[in-house]
Amino acid sequence: MNILASYNWIKEYLKTDATPADFARELSLKSMSVESATQLADSFKKMVVGVVKEIKAHPNADRLKIALTDIGSDTVETVCGGTNLKEGMRVFVALPGAKVRWHGEGDLVELAETEIRGAKSFGMICAPSEVGFEKAPCVPGGIWDLTNITDAKAGTSIEDALNIDDTIFDIEITTNRPDAMSIIGLAREGAAVTGGEFNFETIDLPQEAESPVFPLRVTVKDEDLCPRYMAVVMDGIKVGPSPAWLQMKILLAGHRPINNIVDITNLILHEYGQPLHAFDYEKLEGEEIIVRRAKNGEKFLALDEKEYELNSDNLVIADKKRPVALGGVMGGQDSGTWDGTTTVVFEAATFDPVSVRRTARGLNLFSDSQLLFEKGLSTESPAIALARAIQLTREIAGGKVASAVIDERAQEYKPKSFRFRPHKVRELMGVNLEENEMFEILERLGFTVEATGEVSDPSDYSVIVPFWRGNDIESEVDFAEEIARIYGYHNLPSVLPQGAPPSTIGDQDLVWEKWAKDLLATSGYTELFGYSFVSQDDLSRYGLDPDKAIRLHNPLTSDLTHMRTSLMPSLLKDIKMNQGELTQGSVFELARIYLPREKDLPEERTQLTIAEFGLIEVEPAFLRVKGMIEEMAKKSGLRLSFDRSVDSSSFQGEVGRGSGKGAHWHPNRSARIILNDESVGVIGQLSSEYQDAFGIDRPLVVAQIDFQKIQPWMHVARRYVPIADYPAITRDLAIVVDEKAEFESLAGTIKEQSSIVESVDLFDIYRGTGIPEGKKSVALSITLRAPDRTLSHEHADDVISAVEKALKEKFSAVIR
Amino acid sequence: MKKELEQLRDEFLSAVKDVADAAGLEDLRVEYLGRKGKLAGIMKQLPSLAEDLRKDMGSFANEVKAAIETAFTEAHDSLHEIDRESRREVEWLDITMPGTQPKTGHLHLVTQAIEEVNNIFARLGFVLVRHPEVEWDLYAFESLNMPKDHPARDEWETFFIADGEKQMVGENGKVVLTPHTSNGQVREMEKGNMPIRMININKCYRRQSDVSHAPMFHQFEGLMIDKNVTIAELKGTIDFFAKNFFGADREIRLRPFHFRFTEPSFEIDITCDVCKGTGGDESAVCRLCKDGWLELGGAGMVHPNVLKAGNLDPDEYTGFAFGWGVERTMMMKAGLNIADIRTLYRNDLRFLRQF
Repeated sequence: MNILASYNWIKEYLKTDATPADFARELSLKSMSVESATQLADSFKKMVVGVVKEIKAHPNADRLKIALTDIGSDTVETVCGGTNLKEGMRVFVALPGAKVRWHGEGDLVELAETEIRGAKSFGMICAPSEVGFEKAPCVPGGIWDLTNITDAKAGTSIEDALNIDDTIFDIEITTNRPDAMSIIGLAREGAAVTGGEFNFETIDLPQEAESPVFPLRVTVKDEDLCPRYMAVVMDGIKVGPSPAWLQMKILLAGHRPINNIVDITNLILHEYGQPLHAFDYEKLEGEEIIVRRAKNGEKFLALDEKEYELNSDNLVIADKKRPVALGGVMGGQDSGTWDGTTTVVFEAATFDPVSVRRTARGLNLFSDSQLLFEKGLSTESPAIALARAIQLTREIAGGKVASAVIDERAQEYKPKSFRFRPHKVRELMGVNLEENEMFEILERLGFTVEATGEVSDPSDYSVIVPFWRGNDIESEVDFAEEIARIYGYHNLPSVLPQGAPPSTIGDQDLVWEKWAKDLLATSGYTELFGYSFVSQDDLSRYGLDPDKAIRLHNPLTSDLTHMRTSLMPSLLKDIKMNQGELTQGSVFELARIYLPREKDLPEERTQLTIAEFGLIEVEPAFLRVKGMIEEMAKKSGLRLSFDRSVDSSSFQGEVGRGSGKGAHWHPNRSARIILNDESVGVIGQLSSEYQDAFGIDRPLVVAQIDFQKIQPWMHVARRYVPIADYPAITRDLAIVVDEKAEFESLAGTIKEQSSIVESVDLFDIYRGTGIPEGKKSVALSITLRAPDRTLSHEHADDVISAVEKALKEKFSAVIR
Repeated sequence: MKKELEQLRDEFLSAVKDVADAAGLEDLRVEYLGRKGKLAGIMKQLPSLAEDLRKDMGSFANEVKAAIETAFTEAHDSLHEIDRESRREVEWLDITMPGTQPKTGHLHLVTQAIEEVNNIFARLGFVLVRHPEVEWDLYAFESLNMPKDHPARDEWETFFIADGEKQMVGENGKVVLTPHTSNGQVREMEKGNMPIRMININKCYRRQSDVSHAPMFHQFEGLMIDKNVTIAELKGTIDFFAKNFFGADREIRLRPFHFRFTEPSFEIDITCDVCKGTGGDESAVCRLCKDGWLELGGAGMVHPNVLKAGNLDPDEYTGFAFGWGVERTMMMKAGLNIADIRTLYRNDLRFLRQF
């Protein structure tokens, strides 16, 4: 959460000589991060107060006028379209050279002397939104009327007239420190980080009513959600615009001035970090306030003019009849202060942070007050803030206290305290800091250090936590943080880890996953990286049962609802998406799938898919993918084999296959991948049923491997085969055989013919002209070698003859 | 016979001068030196000569043969040189043609970044491990000192696993998709192997999807626990990483921040690479950074309650931890201007093939 903080305002409570830049740096390094610092003077260069002397019609435009404006040094003519322009009005004039935002939109534009529709215009009379005050009150289409904001003479610089020689910091406040989300809190932190002096004195609450008493009864029914509720009635109020100083403070803090009473509550919200609310006493039915849970279905019309339906988790501030505010979140539309309000009830309370957060999130209703309450505020803040509200109301809205100060609280406040051992701080910081230095830091932040009186250990202390830190300080180690940050983390030494490294080795599956990814990528496959969740429909389309997948209770979108039980649906969706742009592709994904287990976390299994898509010919792609797997197996010492018998349930890594769906794989173009007599994956052409289900145009070949099953067997495999002593003879052989004659049988038969057949390689398969239907021409290269001598050609001829004969007999092969 | 040999030699020496190409030279070689060539023809007379004469003639014949061979080699070399010269003139390459791309694939950017991060921490003895993504509330929140009502435990921020219409609940609480890699902290401590130097890089999930958030992303979690681990060692470790990953000239600084599972907690800044840590000057403020610094990520000293949850005595052990977004850290380094971080997970090959 961020706060806009005026440095001048901070300095009302902090005596320091630090420049804005120094203050911002020290605060960032030791306390809260200053995200930007804007010097207001820079924004208001060449801007002055002007007084409109005379208004003339524009010769060429009905909507525009020419204002003769006194800018001190001169009286100039300025073309102006402001609907509220009046003679005698004090206005905001931007002179040539000033930078403004036209109509409050777009980038800053530097003004020049110009002509507008044929009339000369020297500078511009500005609307608030054109000079960075979007929230300043202004009539629609009007210009900024400064008459009641400043009485500075014409020509006075805007900086002086509005007294804004100031720097505005935009500061990020960490969520544990709502106490710093205020001018006082920042002044306190500022004192600790700059060494300046923090000056803040609380105001006393009035002891009794000052005017005729207006009865008010306050009942807190749900103390757990509202540990403290304070209220006071003030009468004799005149509601109207706030004085200029208050409006400026509110504006620079990023709030919109509304009226003096609302502005007071916003000022205190910003200055003290304690939200307040003001009710119109007359609007409270039955002269009472009841703090209670809403009834289910109860309606509430909020200040944002929307009606909300509440439930019993929401805390409301109600009168006798209806909710008048949503506790800590927002006031009601018809119970707040308005022009005719004369009697006000100020509320200063503490609400349960969790309830406020859940109410706001549940109703999608957010406010400055809710933002603070949901971080957890001290029960000691309301009294201080309420006293300040009473004081300011007396000063600027003419009110008198018309009731006792009502204070309903769940329990008495007792400050927290924790043990404090300075040596623990030293050990953590790695710096030898003196005890006194530590005490000083803690005391500057409002902590009190006390000796425990423990004789056995004189350096054992007790530290009392100030009320504004009551929520974030939880244990002894928090003091170490306070001391170390104020000492300055940037002042601590920097060393590499000392001591011995651990003796454990990392998870080996990660090593092999990375190894496989590298091999696949260097072999031409591109890595896909998909979301772990898919939609119910994605699973169903691939024939997987969504009921057998982990389902999200609160998915973000309806297309990401189930944890994937297979990488296949993602793969097919990715191919579908890519096929329009790239006709062909080679991809892989190596990622985890999530398999449900009864009453336990799911099993996270690593799966590998390798795919070639956009195929015109399936066979070469099949061989490439198979070759990839064989290469991977060879390099990692896996003895894989391939088996033609693929049935629909053969892939063990995939659970939850729905029934009634056909096989995933083309029955004649797929194989099981076998390791140690166990199926570890499938390779093949995806059956056209699923290709169609995902709208994929062309066939694809996929290998899907249960990586978890093969990984434990992977090892660095290096096998040495001695280089042969004698030369080989290679003979090529082309044979025409039946389409279904498998290479392995052909090669096996060839090898059986002689021990000198070293290898049989396939180098071409041909179908088409000259080859009968149902047949194929297979071109083989046969390498012959004897281990102990140079082969004679005659010997080779004999072996080849035997081979040819065997092939003819066994396969009815025709030798070409 | 001597005369015949001399004549043969002279004939060859003159003939060889007229040869114009390699084929002619080869013909000449066959004619004179071949198995059935002229020299061989003369040599046939040798056996019929008297023994002393035969010896003289033999050696003379060898001289002649050597002379012819020398002349032949010279002619051969010179012809070869002429031939090379003329070939060089016609042989020409258009070296401006685009090179042929080797058929390589592409590792995903995140895989590349994970590898790089892991390699750096490995040099400091950090060990790469993996902990679950689908996780018990116990490890994702409870043991990390996060109160029951912490906003991160709300349904708005974290994904919960369903059991029918309800949230799934088991022996260790609800089941969530881990929103950070910090779930590995207590799991690592429970292994009971001290000291710990762990790097846990994994997928994380949060209920956010916009140009700078993907509902699934990656973090790398560093955890070091030992006796007397100090903030100084955290600084040293991160400084080592920053210099190795981003460049030797980069500096880091720690600023206060707040996380439930560390105390103290830090935000780490690194000097900006664009303005070299100056923040720019009066005329041009650096647009990338704040005052010369960029936010790198969070870190902190492991909270005593987290150590206790991992069955360690906080009076005996201390440690530090950090958990940063892989995607963000990678993009900061590469200066990649990927406008929508979700592009990383759309699997558009036109994107993936760029890296």
